[in-house]
Amino acid sequence: MFTNFFYLLKQVGIPVSPTSFLRLQKALQLGLITSIDDFYTAARSILVKSERYFDLYDQVFAHHFEGAELEEPDEFELSRVAQALLDEWLKNPKELAEALGVDEKSLSKLSPEELLQYFLDRLKEQTGEHHGGSKWIGTGGTSPVGHSGYHPGGMRVGGVSRNKSAVKVAMDRRYRDYSQEGPLTQAQIGEALKRLRNMIPVGPKDQVNIDETIYHTMKNAGEIEIIFDRSLKDRLKVILAIDNGGWSMDPYVELVQTLFNHARAQFKELRTFFFHNTIYDNLWEDPARYRKPFKVDDLARLDPETRFIIVGDASMAPYELMATDGSIHIEERTYKPSHERLRFIAATFPFAIWLNPKMEQEWPYTRTIGMIREIFPMFELTIDGLEKAVNYMMGKNHLN
Amino acid sequence: MKVESTNGMFTGASKYVLDEELAKIVNISMALEMPLLLKGEPGTGKTMLAHAIAEALNMRLIVLNVKSSMKLVEALYQYDTLTRLNDSRFGDSSRDVSNIEEYIKMGKIGQAFVADERVVLLIDEIDKADTDFQDDMLDVLDQMEFDIIEIDKTIRAKHRPVIIITSNAKKDLSDPFLGRCNFHHIAFPEPDMMRKIVSVHFPDISKELLENSVKAFYRMREFRGVEKKPATRELINWIRALESDPDFKVKDLVKGDIPYLGVLFKKSPDYAIARGTVSRMRI
Repeated sequence: MFTNFFYLLKQVGIPVSPTSFLRLQKALQLGLITSIDDFYTAARSILVKSERYFDLYDQVFAHHFEGAELEEPDEFELSRVAQALLDEWLKNPKELAEALGVDEKSLSKLSPEELLQYFLDRLKEQTGEHHGGSKWIGTGGTSPVGHSGYHPGGMRVGGVSRNKSAVKVAMDRRYRDYSQEGPLTQAQIGEALKRLRNMIPVGPKDQVNIDETIYHTMKNAGEIEIIFDRSLKDRLKVILAIDNGGWSMDPYVELVQTLFNHARAQFKELRTFFFHNTIYDNLWEDPARYRKPFKVDDLARLDPETRFIIVGDASMAPYELMATDGSIHIEERTYKPSHERLRFIAATFPFAIWLNPKMEQEWPYTRTIGMIREIFPMFELTIDGLEKAVNYMMGKNHLN
Repeated sequence: MKVESTNGMFTGASKYVLDEELAKIVNISMALEMPLLLKGEPGTGKTMLAHAIAEALNMRLIVLNVKSSMKLVEALYQYDTLTRLNDSRFGDSSRDVSNIEEYIKMGKIGQAFVADERVVLLIDEIDKADTDFQDDMLDVLDQMEFDIIEIDKTIRAKHRPVIIITSNAKKDLSDPFLGRCNFHHIAFPEPDMMRKIVSVHFPDISKELLENSVKAFYRMREFRGVEKKPATRELINWIRALESDPDFKVKDLVKGDIPYLGVLFKKSPDYAIARGTVSRMRI
């Protein structure tokens, strides 16, 4: 029963498993479902396992059972479809240009905004012409390039490319569900960051060590001697300093913050600072880098065990790093060159590292990256890089 | 709302306002003998639901509060070696030292299994534990049995408990886990629902206060830049504060004068934002 409904759900991208469908059948057999309303709730709670798909489920349900037309794609969805199209276009400009019946060259001349608008206009036209405003979920799709453009689970992040075009950045900024799907997925991040947990025995001695207790009791000829161990306590403090200035870093700021906020529960303390390009006299606690300065000198007062993680592309003009007054911000007058500041941080926190969203093979081409690598161990901002970074921070700890 | 328990179906409890949809889902999960996974932002009554079910169906409630460092075995049983050691040395207890079983204590899941009548088992904030814990736990709940290694004994559930699992919306749980549960997401209550909830907690509340406090509450939830929005619990405490203040008049609320912001906003930056916004609103 309701097999078509099941397949329709699958088709629009809701992950429904056959097992859960059988379970729904069982519920039907048991006579638990007596009305269409019952069916709606029961099927949803049994088949759909995330609230992200609830809206989609509603649409499919209405379509299947009430004969309602699946909703016209509204502006929001259209722009999502357009995003996906852009994505396609970036992968294969020629094909898409052909499909839309436009010259590839004239497409490439448009600015990202114009391009999006163009797609949107085209899509609206197409909906009218081809389908008369009826079903848009399913095989048909809304446009000649159609089906592939629809991503119910949210946008994909368009991969990390070496040649980061403006169009691509424009796309990045429009992602709606950054935390849900990205190059670093939540599950992976959790895995990598779990290793950040630094289990140093510093808690009170309140855990009974059974083996030791028995051993010592035996040695005492049966007179009980209870041996306690310290319970493990997670005391890891983390400081995150993020370069949030400029377009080159824009796509990563939110990502990194999401990443560490997810892991927040694992840390004793997590502080986030911001800077632009490199660090001078101050770090900032507010992303605007204006209201809440934090003196770099004051870092010395913090726990040196703190893991100091800098996230930035480390790419700038060499004088910004080396000159006494290197900041590109006129209002920021400094007395020490940035590289001295960085050395100070590296000396204060033995567990300081630098995460770079640029891929490792690009590093030799930027001079400042090389200079900063002399101060901090640098890792790529990828799962692999993150894992190495964590291993590094933990490895050092074993030496203590 | 009165306590009802007709034919073992769940219809609501004395302090819990239940929407019909959720009631259906609870009943279906009970009939299919599946754990029910509840997600939703804090303050939507995930935990309260389990209490309400237990109350309505007249069952005992066993709560397992999941902690991040928790191992599954702790939730199942504990072997009290220390007491045994002590008994073996001094031999003045009534327990039989050679019988290890006397030193096994049941954990929360174990208690739910060995209970003589059907119980409600609430597994609260499952997302705190790691994935292994979650998957292993569902294995146990699926088979309704586990082994006690020390005495080589299998504990089987006498009665399949009603299992409610809650999770905060932040993380998605693993697929195998989701596959074995029924799922429901509790949305934040609409103003209408909220009025009902408040009336259940304050049966004598004046209509004027009810209307205006709920209105002000939803307006405050919209404040920009607030990290932790006030939830149902805060609203109820806030109304309690308003009611106990003899100087408070409902008219003040209408004017936009909102006292006891600290009850609603519990983080200091949030509090500062709320204060700022409120004073601007008044002008």
